[in-house]
Amino acid sequence: MHLAIPSRKSSNPPPYANRSSRYSMLRRSRVQAIAITVCAVGAILFLVSHLFGGGERIPSGTPPVVIVTVVDEDNYSKDYIKNIKDNRIEYAKKHGYTTFFPTIKDYDLGGSPTSWARVPAVRHALTKFPYTTFVWYLDQNSLIMNPDLTVESHITNPKTLESLMIKDQSIVPPDSVIKTFSHLKGDKVDMVVTQDKEGLAQGSFIVRRGDWSKFFLDTWFDPLYRSYNFQKADTHALEHIVQWHPTILSKLVLIPQRTMNSYAKGSNTDESGAYKDGDFVIRFHGCESSGRDCAAEADPFSKQWRTVFHSR
Amino acid sequence: MSLSRSPSPRPGGGWASPGLNSPHLDGSGRSSPAKGYRGNGAAGSNTVTWESAKAKSEGVNGYPSFSTQNNGFFKRHLRTFSNSLPRFDMGMGPEKSYAEKEKLGRGRWNGRRMARLRNFVGRISRKTRLRLLAILAVIIMIILFYQTPNQGGGVMEWKGAREWAIERDSVRNKRKYANRWGYELEIVDMSTKKRYAHEWRESWEKVDTIRNCLRKYPDAEWFWWMDLNTFVMEPSYSLQSHIFNNLAANTYRDINEYNPLNITHPFASPHLDEDARSPNGDGKASSINLIIPQDCSGFNLGSFFIKRSAWTDRLLDVWWDPVGYEQKHMEWEHKEQDAMEFLYINQPWIRPHTAFIPQRKINSFPPGACSENGEDTRIHYNEKDRDFVVNMAGCEWGRDCWGEMYNYRELSNFLNRNLWELFKEELVAPAWFKLTGHKVKL
Repeated sequence: MHLAIPSRKSSNPPPYANRSSRYSMLRRSRVQAIAITVCAVGAILFLVSHLFGGGERIPSGTPPVVIVTVVDEDNYSKDYIKNIKDNRIEYAKKHGYTTFFPTIKDYDLGGSPTSWARVPAVRHALTKFPYTTFVWYLDQNSLIMNPDLTVESHITNPKTLESLMIKDQSIVPPDSVIKTFSHLKGDKVDMVVTQDKEGLAQGSFIVRRGDWSKFFLDTWFDPLYRSYNFQKADTHALEHIVQWHPTILSKLVLIPQRTMNSYAKGSNTDESGAYKDGDFVIRFHGCESSGRDCAAEADPFSKQWRTVFHSR
Repeated sequence: MSLSRSPSPRPGGGWASPGLNSPHLDGSGRSSPAKGYRGNGAAGSNTVTWESAKAKSEGVNGYPSFSTQNNGFFKRHLRTFSNSLPRFDMGMGPEKSYAEKEKLGRGRWNGRRMARLRNFVGRISRKTRLRLLAILAVIIMIILFYQTPNQGGGVMEWKGAREWAIERDSVRNKRKYANRWGYELEIVDMSTKKRYAHEWRESWEKVDTIRNCLRKYPDAEWFWWMDLNTFVMEPSYSLQSHIFNNLAANTYRDINEYNPLNITHPFASPHLDEDARSPNGDGKASSINLIIPQDCSGFNLGSFFIKRSAWTDRLLDVWWDPVGYEQKHMEWEHKEQDAMEFLYINQPWIRPHTAFIPQRKINSFPPGACSENGEDTRIHYNEKDRDFVVNMAGCEWGRDCWGEMYNYRELSNFLNRNLWELFKEELVAPAWFKLTGHKVKL
């Protein structure tokens, strides 16, 4: 419809001007407000995550496992020690682990048997590598024979650990009434150890970093245990604290001996603990006693581990 | 024969105790205590086995085994009951003639007085012994922050009027305090102590009591242990305002600040972690799990705080250990207190979570305790400063516990008079005295 005269303007003009465009002042200020809010929320989230998120930050490049071996430089030849060290170092290199080789003389044992040195050594490793999750103590007279097995997938993975753990097992084999827990979740385990014919075998054990491990090591290292004339020093002290203190027993798990602690021929062991090819670790248990020679026993295996390591 | 090498719990209960026969005695010079401690006869009369120790103690206390003592009201009082029941004398005794059957009293109450007497004598000897053995009773207060909590007081089995009075006052004092602030009070009778698998364990009941309380009050955060001979002088102080609201300022981590035992602190060994080597742990108030006062001779566990935590569970677990006990029980006069000092000195994991509190904050001594060096402003109660708690430590050794308790109770009442009492005693009574020349008690 066409009208001759344009329609009249309204005689009641609106009290404010029409919007000049879609991007009005109002809009612009709202955009600013939104931007500021987003920034603020982001900053708060960042701060909160920094303050509370996951406790501590693990720096990148932290090795997940430290292998600790206390070496006795006075009683063994340089070559032998070097062979032992090489074995750990090469294995560690393969999987991004690290190694730590303190000597017996590094720690003040107050005159107690030198085998005690392993306890402060592990404590030392926890201090030196404060973000590393696991410390694996492996005795000097032993060799890692299978480089393909990693500590995590072979042992410490919670699922694996649950399938490996020996439940309801006497701590000291024949008659101890104290038995390992039958309900223990793999991720609650702080200490993994094996058992040989005689009792706990602390020649090879794994400890998880944390307050518990400090408590455990300090308790184990108590001067009253060191002065007590335990027949087998630290071994029996360990058996003692595990049996008497439930806060320790409840974090400890026993796994089959050959998982990380196979014994070489000549060591006091039965079938279930004897080394077979393909086992993770071989230990020359008791080779330091008179009449045996650690270096000679280790010799064939030294050649073997080198070929195995280099063939892969 | 294969012998257990470590003192491990055995199937029959108890534990083999290899260290008891000293290796020096059998002269073999071997460093191991393995041989001869389990009945193979080699060690001769020096062998003290768990079995023999148990048998010995059975002979002493007249109970067949530790497990049958004090477990239940009826068992405990069975003898009392049966002795006081009427006896029926059927006259079958050989000393009674046939004719006596006809006498009056046959088949009636007979010998009741005798039974009572016998019973009384029987009880007296047992209780006297218990009195000698029993530790002073103890009180635990449990604090549930923001909830209604409090608990504790001790009882000796054989008490005179004074002991009853001490106990009554002490418990009432704590109950009032706990009620006022909504804490929970748990009163522990230390004389009915549990028989332990190893009976030497006396005086570590404190540890078990705390552990039980941790279980009984699952929402409580802090637990305050108080001995029987303590008295809360200022009930108007809440623990929050007095200590916990500003925990860091009210406590000190570095023992060098006051170090009566001359403990080397911090650890120097480089193999320990940073917190263990630092004099103040991590320095955060949240890491404090144990708060101990120190008196003139070291730690004082007459009044201390402990916090629920994994660390606490571990401490309570290792506080008593048979190997440590065996070697030290002659030396550790104050038992669990000395054991605690030993742990603090030797085990680095303890220190980063232990804090000390100036003694007069929670554990002021009366002038009679720690009196060797005269009055010490660090140790002794001062009414001008309105100290919170008095601990009449050691009053049972030659001092007058009840007298001290009474004086402090009266002093506390006097210091905490309400407005009306103040008005009466400070204004009305003097005015009356001026007017009439007579003293008056309002």
